Amino acid sequence: MALLEIKGLKKQFGGLLALGGVDFHIAEGEIVSVIGPNGAGKTTFFNVISGMFAPDEGEIIFDGRDVSGLTPDQINRRGISRTFQNVRLFQNMTILENVMVAQHSHTHKGVFPALFQTPGFRKEEREIRERAREVLGFFGTRLVGYRFDQPAFTLSYANRRRLEIARAMATQPRLLLLDEPTAGMNPSETAELTGLITKLRDERGFTIVVIEHEMKVVRDVSDRVVVLDHGVQIAEGTYDQVSTNEDVIEAYLGRPAEAH
Amino acid sequence: MIEPITSPRVDLTKAVRLGAIAGVTAIFIASIGMVEVFDTRSVIDPILSLGYLSLAWIPILFGYRVTFQPVLEGMEAPRKGPHNLIGGAAAGIVGGAMMGAFLLLIDAFDVRGILLNVTPDLVEIIGFEQSAIVGATILVALGGVLGAAGGGFHLLSDLWRRSVTSAFVWILIIGFVELVLGNVFKGVGLRFLDDVVFSDNRGVTAGAAAVIAVSVIVLHVRFAGKASAARQRYLALPEAKRRSTGFIVATSMMAVGLVIPSVFGPFLNEVLATVGLFMLMGLGLNIVVGYAGLLDLGYVAFFAVGAYTAAVFTSPLTPGDFSPELAFFSALPFVIIMAAIAGIIVGTPVIRMRGDYLAIVTLAFGEIARLVFQADWLKGTFGGAQGILRIGEGQIVTLFGYVLVAVGVVVSLIGFLRWRFARADQDDSSAKVAGVWIGFGTVATVVGLLFPGFASWTVTGIDSEAVFRLVLIFVALAAFVSWRLQDSRIGRAWMAMREDEQVAETMGINVVTSKLLAFVIGAILAAVGGALFAVKIGTIFPSSFKIVQSIIILVVVIVGGIGSLRGVAVGALVLIGVLGGPTQPGMLREFQEFKLLIYGVLLVYMMLQRPEGLAPSARRTRELHGDELKQDVWLGKGEEGEA
Repeated sequence: MALLEIKGLKKQFGGLLALGGVDFHIAEGEIVSVIGPNGAGKTTFFNVISGMFAPDEGEIIFDGRDVSGLTPDQINRRGISRTFQNVRLFQNMTILENVMVAQHSHTHKGVFPALFQTPGFRKEEREIRERAREVLGFFGTRLVGYRFDQPAFTLSYANRRRLEIARAMATQPRLLLLDEPTAGMNPSETAELTGLITKLRDERGFTIVVIEHEMKVVRDVSDRVVVLDHGVQIAEGTYDQVSTNEDVIEAYLGRPAEAH
Repeated sequence: MIEPITSPRVDLTKAVRLGAIAGVTAIFIASIGMVEVFDTRSVIDPILSLGYLSLAWIPILFGYRVTFQPVLEGMEAPRKGPHNLIGGAAAGIVGGAMMGAFLLLIDAFDVRGILLNVTPDLVEIIGFEQSAIVGATILVALGGVLGAAGGGFHLLSDLWRRSVTSAFVWILIIGFVELVLGNVFKGVGLRFLDDVVFSDNRGVTAGAAAVIAVSVIVLHVRFAGKASAARQRYLALPEAKRRSTGFIVATSMMAVGLVIPSVFGPFLNEVLATVGLFMLMGLGLNIVVGYAGLLDLGYVAFFAVGAYTAAVFTSPLTPGDFSPELAFFSALPFVIIMAAIAGIIVGTPVIRMRGDYLAIVTLAFGEIARLVFQADWLKGTFGGAQGILRIGEGQIVTLFGYVLVAVGVVVSLIGFLRWRFARADQDDSSAKVAGVWIGFGTVATVVGLLFPGFASWTVTGIDSEAVFRLVLIFVALAAFVSWRLQDSRIGRAWMAMREDEQVAETMGINVVTSKLLAFVIGAILAAVGGALFAVKIGTIFPSSFKIVQSIIILVVVIVGGIGSLRGVAVGALVLIGVLGGPTQPGMLREFQEFKLLIYGVLLVYMMLQRPEGLAPSARRTRELHGDELKQDVWLGKGEEGEA
């Protein structure tokens, strides 16, 4: 059964039809890439799934239940987490805090335990901290040690992207939505992250939808590729199928001159 | 005029421009009556009165600014030379000339019809009791000299500049706290010191001023760099150690605070109680604005709810039939419940609003609250414009000794539990912290048992000493709550929400409950402040709860440093302690009339020069000076750069 199943998803901003009835499905353990030219509606697609915008029409069925219209925090608690195209960290919180705060919905101690520092509270704090370190450890030597107590804004661009993924992982989702995870990275960093995306699925068991412009990454990570253009799906299949599809080439490069 | 080749030319346009600003400032200060009011108090007797000081700083500051150059990385240091003096003098002369012209004008024409405060006395003061033309000449000359002195500051080395400035600041501070020191001297039996140090008109005597100046300068030269080195060492300590140091410092200050009112006079205790009330409310607002990032301008509403609840529950003269006449501490739970309800009522509709919109709507709620309490509709409950009288019957009976014993026992028990817990984890540092808990708990218990006088501690509203102690206990509680919450799951959620609400929501934080929680906790602290205010004054009217209250609490938090506990304490001490609350006087009673003006000037200055506040939190400094930090990193000055 599909982990996420989307039927006829529509989203309109004034006169602009950002999503014009998208159907989409992803099975547990799959990695699906969403590609398309700029303005195709990819990020809007993520925004609607993660609850930042309510869809105008259509169903979003996650794990057998309709989640459309829920608030972002409810959706996150059901098990969908995401990163952002334009890296949105909590800049002035430390790296560790960024990952700690993402465990909010899995922890419960409120005001009074915090005031009296009950053993339960201290235990939970320790667990949060340990889990944060463990999640950051996934990125190997990139995000370690002395950096944990520095504010997030001191990180390099590539590390900010890594931290954002770590933060999304810390919410313990089943489905990860990665919005252009390699944007702005140099080729070696891109290659490294490509490996990590696969590792995220193989070792951590996340199901992953990734928006990506870098075709090499798309080729290396995807089980399946979905192509959007003007808010509708124009092709779907393996990387090889999609990359030779005429509609896709047309969407990216325009109609060949002799066709007129 | 022959200029040395090495000296840069004086930028006369700049000098004239700054001089003109100085002139306008001086005329403004003189014509609002500040000079005249301040002239009754001396700063250094008999040389300088506060009135003259309120003008004299202007040419000095602007003279300094004329040739001021920011020192930037990679640029050569600004050159020193006669141009510093000339530029300063030029600005001073321009300012002095404007002031002189103003003097001639008010001497020749009667402008009191427009400028109410331009009295013949003012003419006397700024004319140095000479004829107008002579006075004007003196003003020009004096402007030039003071301006040159200001410019001459550039000629001093950094160390001397700092020494001289701080010598002067210390003379000012000691002069300002004359009342405090005088009372302390009396309290510890050193009355004669009061006569030696202070003159009759409340200034420092010239001899004492010289002694202070010399000792401050000597200390500066002797310990140059040591203070900042110590600060660096402190900052280099591990977080846990810094926190426990902070905790110990705060507790010791609390202990001093409990003892010190006995040596202060009633007036100072009154001031301190007001400071404490504002600290309490500042701490509450700090949670809402500083931690959760919700700009609440209607905070006074909660203050009013607390005051009215306490009034209705304790006063025998409530307007309606409902009059339980409870003691203060029995009424307190109701105050807290009402505050929480008010927090939810105000919080719920504004949850989805951000920034400016939130500020405007909360502002309206603040005003609505006052109008509700004033309304004829609820006159049967809240007494309308006549307010409520005889609150708490002037008595807040507390069994302080027993409270102390109870707190001590609880603290010791928690400490003991933590110690066992730490031992099980083999966590040495927590075991030490637990030891500190046990220590404080035991001391509190012993003190509580040893001083039976405390056991029947009766606080009446007019006993300012006792009221202050009571307020201080609540301040300590509020500080404790803020301190603990800051570094908890909830504190982190607030912080994330303040940084980026949308992302926080996507990361699973329920922003609705988080915001409401911030509102409710803030409301409770303000309401407790309101309840204390009500029993302290004994009478409340709707007019005690104007919008300006909210604004002043916000100014306290901003000037002190948003998000910082120390900041709120410093802000309240400086603003409320020195200048006074909205209706209550501060230590400088002369400032009473000009308080709002000074608040405003201070706020503008802080926003421009030091937006992180007087005693900022490390986090906030980073936030506001992050770009500079990045620059340092780029220049290889700061921490190691990128991986």
